[in-house]
Amino acid sequence: MKKEKISVDLIYFIIVGVMAGLFFLFHTVSFLKGVFYSFTDWKGYGAWNFVGLRNYLQIFRDGDTIHAYEFTFQFAIICTILVNVISLALACALNANIRFKDFLKGVYFLPYMLGSIIVGFIFNFIFANLIPALGQTLGIECLSVNILGTTSAIWGIVIVTIWSGCAFNTLIYISGLQSVDTDVYEAAALDGANGFRRFSRITFPLLAPSFTINMVLAAKGYLMVYDQIMAMTDGGPGTTTTSIAVLIYKKGFGGGQFSYQMANAVVLFLVVVAVSVFQLRILEKREDKIG
Amino acid sequence: MKRKSNDFVTVLLLVGALIIILLPLYLTLIIAIKDPSDMNQVLALPKKIRLQNFSDAWNMTQYPRKFFNTSFITLINLMFTLITNSFVAYAITRNRKKHVFFGIMYYYFVSAMFIPFCVIMLPLVVQINYFHLDNIFGITFLYIVFGLPMNTFIYSGAVKNIPEALDEAAKIDGANPLQIFTYVIFPVLKPTTATVAILSFMWTWNDFTMPLVLLSDKNQQTLQLAQFVFKSQFSVNYNLAFASYLMVIVPILIVYLFCQKWIMNGVVAGAVK
Amino acid sequence: MKRKITVMGTMVVLALTSVVLAGCGKKEKEIEFFSSKSENAAVLQSFVDTFNQEHTDSGVKIVLNTPADPGTVLKTRLAKNDVPDIMALGGDNNYTEVQSAGVLADLSGESYIDGIQESYMQMVYDVQKGKEAIPYAVPYAANASGVLYNTDKFKELNLEIPKTWDEFMKVVKTIEDAGEEPFLFTFKDAWTGLCPWNSMAPDLQPKGFTDERRVGTTTFAATHQEIAEKYLELLKHAQKDFMGTTYDDGNKAFANGKGVMMINGNWAINQFTNANSSFHVDMFALPASNDQSRNYVTSGVDVLFCVNKDSKNLDIAKEFLAFLLEKKNAQTYIENQFAFSAVKGIEQTDARVAGVKKDIENGKVANFPDHYYPMAFNLSAILSEYSLNYVNGMDDAKNSAAFLADCDKKYDIANVE
Repeated sequence: MKKEKISVDLIYFIIVGVMAGLFFLFHTVSFLKGVFYSFTDWKGYGAWNFVGLRNYLQIFRDGDTIHAYEFTFQFAIICTILVNVISLALACALNANIRFKDFLKGVYFLPYMLGSIIVGFIFNFIFANLIPALGQTLGIECLSVNILGTTSAIWGIVIVTIWSGCAFNTLIYISGLQSVDTDVYEAAALDGANGFRRFSRITFPLLAPSFTINMVLAAKGYLMVYDQIMAMTDGGPGTTTTSIAVLIYKKGFGGGQFSYQMANAVVLFLVVVAVSVFQLRILEKREDKIG
Repeated sequence: MKRKSNDFVTVLLLVGALIIILLPLYLTLIIAIKDPSDMNQVLALPKKIRLQNFSDAWNMTQYPRKFFNTSFITLINLMFTLITNSFVAYAITRNRKKHVFFGIMYYYFVSAMFIPFCVIMLPLVVQINYFHLDNIFGITFLYIVFGLPMNTFIYSGAVKNIPEALDEAAKIDGANPLQIFTYVIFPVLKPTTATVAILSFMWTWNDFTMPLVLLSDKNQQTLQLAQFVFKSQFSVNYNLAFASYLMVIVPILIVYLFCQKWIMNGVVAGAVK
Repeated sequence: MKRKITVMGTMVVLALTSVVLAGCGKKEKEIEFFSSKSENAAVLQSFVDTFNQEHTDSGVKIVLNTPADPGTVLKTRLAKNDVPDIMALGGDNNYTEVQSAGVLADLSGESYIDGIQESYMQMVYDVQKGKEAIPYAVPYAANASGVLYNTDKFKELNLEIPKTWDEFMKVVKTIEDAGEEPFLFTFKDAWTGLCPWNSMAPDLQPKGFTDERRVGTTTFAATHQEIAEKYLELLKHAQKDFMGTTYDDGNKAFANGKGVMMINGNWAINQFTNANSSFHVDMFALPASNDQSRNYVTSGVDVLFCVNKDSKNLDIAKEFLAFLLEKKNAQTYIENQFAFSAVKGIEQTDARVAGVKKDIENGKVANFPDHYYPMAFNLSAILSEYSLNYVNGMDDAKNSAAFLADCDKKYDIANVE
């Protein structure tokens, strides 16, 4: 060991090796098995045969699956944009010179602490009972029915996702804002830059790293959206709000299409990786330009 | 040049907080203490406070048992996650350039972050049963292992920012890697540790899918799972259900109340690294 | 820093206590009784308690387990090869899954099998793999799907129980003229959209449809036009927000006087009485046809019991089954659940299901058609989409044509072995 140019202590190998071994045994082996079964007709138990690419070819012929991809992308795009816009606005407001700053920050971070199942149940009640009653009293037609039972059910889920999703992103933006040197502002103020110009020319570029993180995490999370939908619409009405993860779960376990949905899951995995890599490249390039 | 406090923004934020964030929570509380016959004016204050909702929900969900299970999983996971995952991230980050093994490990863990849980769910169930880990000990162990990718990612960002001179200095003083980590690096990582602690706390406390598929013994189920009981069995009674939700939320709110500064600073300081 | 130490310290102490406490759990031998229904948990629990009390000397204890999302749990348990000792399931796809996995004990030799009504035994055989006629399960209770009606309002409006579709529509019209809403639907929970379909399809679909459809010699589009149209007709007389009303909210509202009829099953009655104990309700078979003789009650096996053939306590498990099937317990069960017993000689006398009782006794029943569709064929989602299109104002003819075409397409996708 002494002859090597750079020696690495054995203890590092041992600990990392053990943890990686465990991770491999439970996570990676399961993943590989899943990929393996996507080429079979396994039902989750019992005997199975190889079926080659049949499951994968089926995906492109199955209207439900295609629809689930459409919905999931639509949902992920809407949520990623809205969550980031709202979080950014909220972060700027919370970072302004306001009273009760700590209290307000505390309140706005609160939703993050609550589990999505329970939040889903609570909002289910609000959408089913409270808002229709309000809509009827005010005579607003589109509010007088349960939004989760209409074609616009996606917006109900978007609202809940924003409600619980903004907290984390806001905090990241706030931290980004706090690292912005106040001197820069004062200089800008002296130059006569107004609020919006100040934001677009100074604040936003400096927030680029936070922006990158938020965009990537948000897109990845929303492409796998699952909990809220299970708690609120169960994929309905019809298949209006069936996301890919929900489809995999429901049909893979309840519908006896285990290996087919396994193939679907592998495709979802590839999509998530592709989207994330794509985003990172674009956003990092932009960051470099600004930097 | 002193700046005046911005009252317009303050009022806006206060109103927003009240309507958007606190109203649903107020609703939960109000329904939880109301009598079922008092539900015509949902938002109004209750005519009579009915605490029996809580005791009924407590019995129906076997709250003490479920609370204990959830706390057990959460706390044990927290302890071991913080100790092991931080060291793994440290070892990987510091040695990435020195030995190809750690470079590979880094990409291995980070790429594993992109594997959706539903892909591994059923094969995992078979795997877990083979090792007889379908109990709260097993699931706790799994959380510790499965948290590795995300936590390595977060920790390694922070480790990168610690000057290597610190390690070198300790090394010259005769400290071994474990000592260096324990006495020099880990204390500096405090903000990141807070972040990781919060993330894994939230994950395990609020997780639903893993307990659902892994814990078949009724006595080992978690609080979140118990809430599903209400969805089917007692769902006509919103008051009971909301009392039960509240009992799941409250422990978290208490933790939040006492550790708010710590939590927020942790997330702020750690997340962007 | 001090605070951190305190926090860490508390955590360690708590964690250690947890380990110790968890280790001290009782080590009594347990037999798992897995049930897929939540509505009957209370009554099954009372049976379990009685049985355990009578068998304290056996050293084992039966434990009832009614998990959330039982279908998934059961599947994962099968995958783990960790099959529960005793199972209470519905006579549906879930049972087929378990049975075809080959893990169930053959109950042919048991004394109670002879005391079971043949028609229900046949329903069990029908959903077994290859329609094998071996009793791997014993049917316990049957359900009935049809029209639930508010008897007080029927009296108030001087309404007769309709025997044909035309009479049914007349009843609907009378109710509407009186300013009431005929139907209360709860389609936010998509499965409830299946109930009208399940009640109408047996009356109107051609004989042998399910078999012919499976081999592809017929289609939904060619045979189900009338059912699709009548389904839309029903929607036209439902309350405004029927797509957004949940089963639970709807039941509660119905029990408190909203709407006059609901198309669901006897299992909902329990929910009504919970919401309003003085609510008067009865059922009748949905008369989908104008030919009275074809208007069946849709009834299927709601609960059946089966036993894991590899259970370590097979004897006690079987003994428990015999206990459940004792006349006294069978009677208690149906009284509690407003269900119909599969055990010969046990009668349901509750007035709240009197309207369908005669048909059931006379065997004028048809099983749920969806029990014969492939498992991955998610008809409730397709029906839900159909209803949604209706709400969105799509042209009826176009809508039902699209719906039927969709049925055929998705049936074919699901119908792969």
